[in-house]
Amino acid sequence: MASNPMHQFSVYKIGPEIKINGVDLSFTNASLFMLISATLILLFLLFGTKEKKIIPNKVQLISEILYSFVSKMISDTAGKKAKPYFPFIFSLFIFILFCNMVGMLPYSFTVTSHIIVTLAFALFIFIGVTILGFVIHGFKYLKIFVPSGVPIVLLPIIMIIEIISYLSRPVSLSVRLFANMMAGHTMLKVFGGFVISLGLVAGWLPLTFSVALTGLEILVAFLQAYVFAILTCIYLNDALNLHH
Amino acid sequence: MNKTLVFITTGLLSVNNLFAAEAGMPQLDPTYWISQVFWLAIIFSSIYFLVAKMFIPKIKGNLDTRENKIRKDIEEANLLKEEADKKLKIYNASIIEAKANAKKIISDSRKKLNEDLSIKKKQIESEIQKEIENAEKEIQRFKINSTPKMISISEEIVSNVIKDIFGEDLNKSSIKATVTEINKGYKN
Repeated sequence: MASNPMHQFSVYKIGPEIKINGVDLSFTNASLFMLISATLILLFLLFGTKEKKIIPNKVQLISEILYSFVSKMISDTAGKKAKPYFPFIFSLFIFILFCNMVGMLPYSFTVTSHIIVTLAFALFIFIGVTILGFVIHGFKYLKIFVPSGVPIVLLPIIMIIEIISYLSRPVSLSVRLFANMMAGHTMLKVFGGFVISLGLVAGWLPLTFSVALTGLEILVAFLQAYVFAILTCIYLNDALNLHH
Repeated sequence: MNKTLVFITTGLLSVNNLFAAEAGMPQLDPTYWISQVFWLAIIFSSIYFLVAKMFIPKIKGNLDTRENKIRKDIEEANLLKEEADKKLKIYNASIIEAKANAKKIISDSRKKLNEDLSIKKKQIESEIQKEIENAEKEIQRFKINSTPKMISISEEIVSNVIKDIFGEDLNKSSIKATVTEINKGYKN
C-alpha cells in the first residue's frame, strides 16, 4: 500500500523480537530513525567541536550559532535561573529539529509524527516542571492558578480555567508537534499521489504544490522544534520565577 | 479545462479508494508504543548526557576563549593607542621646543655678530682716527720744522751761487733778508 498517505507512519519491527516481562520492546523503524537522528546530531557536534579555532570553520560556526540561539532563547524567556536546564533544552531542540529534518528525506520515517513520542516528551516536561515548581516554591506554587488582580467574584471561574489550561499543557504541546508533522507529511504524500495519478498531462500542477510544500515543511520542521523548545522554556519560567 | 477537472476527480477518487483500503492512523495503534518510548528514553538520555558533559562545555569553552581573546586584543590595542598618543605628544612638544631653541640660537648669534661687528667697527674707526691725527700732527710738525731749514738751505745755496758767480762773499744778513722776503712772498 505504497500510495496510502498514512502508510508512511506505520511502525514495524526490525530484527528480532525483544520481549521483557511480556512487554514488546522490539527495535522498530521508529527506533532506527531515532538512532539515525541521534547519530547525525553526535556527528555534527563532534565535527563542530573537533577543532577549537579562534576563527571557526563552517561546522564549528553552525554549532556555535546553534548554541547561542538556544542560549539566547532560554535567557530571554526563563531568565538566569534556567541555566542548569540549558543542556536539556539544547538536547530537546536539536533532537526534535534533527528528527523533523530527517523526516523530510524521501522514504524516511518521521519520529516526531507519532503522538506517543511527542506525548512522552510533553509529559516528561510537564511532570518535571510541576515537580520543580513544588520543590522550589512548596505549596506556594499553587499560586500559579490564582492570577493577581482578579476580582474575588471571578476567582473560582478563573481558577478552574487556569487549572484546565495547566493540565492541558502536555496535550497541546504534544499534539501541536505531532499534528503539524503528520499533516505536513500526509499532504506531501497526497500531492505526490496526484502527480502519479494525473500523469504527464496535469501532473505538473500538484508537482509544483509538492515542491512548494516541501519548502514549507522544512520551515515547519524548524519552527515546530523552536516552538516546542520555547514553550518548554516558558513552562520552566513559570516554575522557576513564580510571578503570576 | 474539463479534461483537467476529470483528471483531478479521478485522481481524488483513486486516492480516496486507497484511504479506504487501510483506514485509521498507525499512530493510534498501541502495539509499539512502549517500544517507542523505551528507545526514545535510551537514545534521548544518551544524547542528553553527551551534550551536557561533552559538547556544551566544549562549545562554551571555545566561545569564552574567543571572547577573552577579542577583549584582550581590544585592550591591548587601546593601550598601544594611548602609548602612541603619548609618544606623539612628546614628539610634538620636542619639535616645538626645538623650533623655539633654533629661533633663540639664531637671534642670539645674530645679536652677538652685530655687537662684534659694531665693536670692531668702532675700534677700527678709532684707530683710523688716531692714525689720521698722528699723520696731521706729523705734517704740522713737518711744516713748522721745514721753514727755517728751507730758509737756511736757500741762504746757503744763494751764498754759494753768488760766490761761484761773483767770486766773493756777500753780506750774510742781506742774503737772509732777501730770502725771508721771497719766502714771505711764496707763503702768501
